[in-house]
Formats: sequence, structure tokens, C-alpha cells
Amino acid sequence: MNIKKVEEVVRLMEKHNLNEISIEEEGLKIHLRKGPGGEILEKAVRMQSPVLTPHVETAAQAPPAKNGRNTVEITSPMVGTFYRAPAPDAKSFTDVGKTIKVGDVLCIIEAMKLMNEIKSEIKGKIVDILVENGAPIEFGQALFVVEPS
Amino acid sequence: MFSKILIANRGEVAIRIIRACKELGIHTVAVFSEIDADSLHVKLADEAVCVGKAPASDSYLNIPSIISAAEITDVEAIHPGYGFLAEDAHFAEICESCQIKFIGPTPENILLMGDKMAAKQASRKAGIPTIPGSMNVVEKKEDALKIAKKIKYPVIIKAALGGGGKGMRICHNDVRLIGAFLTAQREAEAAFGNSSVYIEKYIDEPRHVEVQILADQYGHYVHLGERDCTVQRRHQKLIEESPSPALGKKLRKKMGELAVKCAKSIGYVNAGTIEFLMDKHENFYFMEMNTRVQVEHPVTEMLTGIDLIKEQIRIAFGEKLKVKQDDIKFEGHSVECRVYAEDPEYDFRPCPGKIVSLNLPGGPGVRVDTHIYAGYEISPYYDSMIAKIISAAKTRKAAITIMQRALDEFMIAPVKTTASFSKTVLSHPLFQRGRHSTAFVDQILEEMRHIK
Repeated sequence: MNIKKVEEVVRLMEKHNLNEISIEEEGLKIHLRKGPGGEILEKAVRMQSPVLTPHVETAAQAPPAKNGRNTVEITSPMVGTFYRAPAPDAKSFTDVGKTIKVGDVLCIIEAMKLMNEIKSEIKGKIVDILVENGAPIEFGQALFVVEPS
Repeated sequence: MFSKILIANRGEVAIRIIRACKELGIHTVAVFSEIDADSLHVKLADEAVCVGKAPASDSYLNIPSIISAAEITDVEAIHPGYGFLAEDAHFAEICESCQIKFIGPTPENILLMGDKMAAKQASRKAGIPTIPGSMNVVEKKEDALKIAKKIKYPVIIKAALGGGGKGMRICHNDVRLIGAFLTAQREAEAAFGNSSVYIEKYIDEPRHVEVQILADQYGHYVHLGERDCTVQRRHQKLIEESPSPALGKKLRKKMGELAVKCAKSIGYVNAGTIEFLMDKHENFYFMEMNTRVQVEHPVTEMLTGIDLIKEQIRIAFGEKLKVKQDDIKFEGHSVECRVYAEDPEYDFRPCPGKIVSLNLPGGPGVRVDTHIYAGYEISPYYDSMIAKIISAAKTRKAAITIMQRALDEFMIAPVKTTASFSKTVLSHPLFQRGRHSTAFVDQILEEMRHIK
């Protein structure tokens, strides 16, 4: 894990008085943005592990309908702690009944002190939220049930 | 003692670690890839966290996933087992920085011994005999010739960053050397991205003898005797035993002391193994040091009565080594057969698939370390070792007899395994006399081909 790299990037930002920086190299993508108060607002670090053996990439989230309705589950792409909002006292990213579109941030998964925004890859309506705020989650764990539109 | 440990591994070693933890009253957390959801180590652990998709890079080698799993389950320590992240200094460092105890040596120990040339230089400094050869990387063919003249033929050219037989060339004279040197450099560049090669004296038909050591955090070191791992196929160990039939009491004492000296000289902590190559004239040379617990650790446990995994956990927790060198007794003889899901009839091709029926051996003097069960699906994503069968008895002859009996009891269908081949090896007169070398398995395979 590249905590050191992230720290380096933050230092770079301070040194050159940058507001936003995006760095990409093999296996690692770092995107940092400063808020109006100078605090680091958006931290997304994505590790792309090289695929050693060919396997079928399951597009986000598969099994349709349990109760007759056409629903899909959005599952977690990583291990960490699930948060419904960007901060403890902030509004939740989304709720049951809300409509979501591709690219909408659904939740944050905290892993190793880094906040990872989980974005939706489908368009639809949130039917159910399966995890409590602050709960630990494993890879592949179902988070949201969505009725695609 | 630790209250909770995460096992960053799978298969039989994960179960081995879970067993030691259970006996020590430590709560266990298993990690697993999606395809390992029905694995035995998941069933046996107190908690389990899915860490990624089947490929090892997505799961068992996925450091962020594993550290995350450790954090959400609030463990105090991680045992890396063997393979995967066990000798990843970076991972050991990250554990340290996250205040999770890495059950093993320090990142510095791992880094030093992971570099073959640096490890050799360190041992040489400590007065351990090393294979005569170049002190550093050999850059020019003129230097190659000079070194070969000094150490005398036959010599072997090896890639500094290498392994798996790539970038290796054996030469018997000057004429061959230049061409081999240049080819080896090219091969090394292609395989490892680095053309650095070094030259060593080539030891013909060596025996592979390794010494187990334990070291606590307070500078106490012991050795637990040697293991003979000479029965190998393409550098993959098949049968191991302790003690080595090639060693007398004097040689055993000498090698043990040198192994301890080597570990001490680099400030090694926790369990480790120093590997030596032995030639036909009882000369032995440092080959490399493995900074982890090894697959074949059970034969040492059977011989000495010491639980190596528990000792690793105790050392990591900060306990002093209770056992002293003089207390360690080597009683009897122990043999281990690794069972691989490979078909010896078809050049040992891997045989993943569902195990429909299974009978594991038992009875006096038999120990089985495995993760397989009837109904279990062996996946193609990980290595093909599915079980270790270990025997122990008062004499080598008796240990071999028990092993042969145990291999007969080992029944598995429809998966093909190397169990029957191991039986062939055990009954061969060369093995029975203890006179075999690392060329032994190839000899047997050659004999079998002729019979066909």
C-alpha cells in the first residue's frame, strides 16, 4: 500500500500550492483535491492489481430478482468500513427510494485510513441498503439493492 | 499472549496455524478469495473475511485487502505462513506501521536474505563456507574466464535476480564459457529484466541439507537439527526427512553451529532455515536462507517434539525462548511425503477438480497435514500440493515402512496424485541406502520411461 506515495503527493501539493492533482502509474491512481478551507477534500486511491490468470470480469453486480422485482445487488469491491456519508455529521450520499445514475457516489469505504468513494455503475432506484453505517465489510459483500431503470 | 491473529494464507498451512492458535487460546481470523469460500481453513477459523477474487494477486497477495481485513477484525498480529506474503519485506513493514505484529523476522532480515548475493556475502563475512565463485556480479567475459580459472571447472552461471532454472548455464571449459556467459546474460535480461549474472563452482549431484533455527527477540538462538530435502523434481521438493542419512554426529553439530552463527550475524529473529548444498565429499556450502516457516517443518517437530508454529507466535509476542540447545533431543527419524494433485503418468500435469472420495491414512506414527476433504473442489488458481503425510519412528527403516503403509491407505478419487510415485521413490534401493542425490528423481523417471 502506498501511504508514503500519497504523503509525497500531498507534500507536492503544498510545495507548489496546487489545488488539485491527479497521478497515474502502473497499478496506482491517486487523485487529491483541496477544499475551500485548504483541507484535502477528495481522496481516491485505486490500486489496480495485474491479472495473472484470465478470468471473467463480472460487471459490477449480478444476481437478478429475489422477490419478483427486477433488482440487482451492488457489492463491495474491497475490504473496509462502510460509511453512508462523507463525514459523521454530513448528509448521506443516498437513501432508500432515491434515484441514482452512473457515476453517482453511493458510499465511502474506508480502508487503511483512506476514504474510497464507491460510484454507481448503473442507473436506477435504491430499493434497500443492506449494511449499517460504520459496519465492517468484506470483498464481494452486498451493499445496495437497486432496481435498474 | 495475543488474543486475536489473522492468518494471511490458505490451504494446509492456514489450518496448521489455526490449530496452534486454538491450542494457545488465540481467536483466529481467516482470509479467503471468492473461490476458497468453502475451504477448510474458512470453516475452522473463528472469523473469516473475503479479500478478493480468485487470482492470488487479487486476494492472498492483495496487501491493502489483507491489512484492511486485519483492521476491521481488530487483530493484534498476522501470521503469513509460507509463500504469498511470507517473505515480502514491504508487507512486513506495512504491518509494523499499522501496529500489527508480523509473525516472522524483521523487514531487514527478509530484505537481506532475499538478495542472493547479499545473503552470500553476509554468510561469508560470518565465516560460513559459501560456494566458491564471484564476489559480485560479473560484467565482462574476460572476468568470467578469470574466475573460472580460479575456482576450476565445472562452473555454473546464474542470474543474480533469478530462479526457476532460468539464466543458468553449466560449463566445463573455456570454449563453452564465453558463449554460455553471453547467452545467460541475455536470458536473465529477458526473464528478470536484469542481465546481472554471477559465477559459482558447480557442485555435481549435490545433496540438499537445511538447518532449522529459532531466535527470540533477546538474542537467544537454537538450532533444531537438519532436514534432508534431496528428493526433488524440477526443484520442487517431494520427500523430506530428518535427520539426514548423509550426516554423522560431528557434521550435524558443525552445521547446526554454523547455521546459528549465520542467523546471529544478521540479528535474525523468529523461525528460519539455512539451506546448504553438500557435495560427495561431505563439503557443504551456504546456499540461501529462508526467512519463514517451511512446508517441511513437521519432520523437525516430530523429531524434537517442539511445536514450531507455537514458538513463532510466542517469539513474536515477546516471550523468551524457553528451550536451550542442550535440552533439544533428536529422537528417532521422521519422513514427510508431499502429495501433489498431479498425474505422474502424464509428466506431472496438474489435476484440479472435485474430490469425490477420500480416505486419509492414520494409525501409529502417522501425521497428516491437509486441507482437503471429500467433496472439496481443488481449484486451478493455487499450487497443487494437497496434503503432507508424515511418519515418525525410532529408526529410518521403520519410518520408511510406516510411510509406505500410510501411502497405501491414502485413497483419493477421481483426482490423480503423486502418492504412488512417492512410494516408488521410497522403495528404490538408492533411497533406502540414503545414498541419493538431487539427480535421483530424474534417474527414476528415466528408468520408468525405459521400462515403458
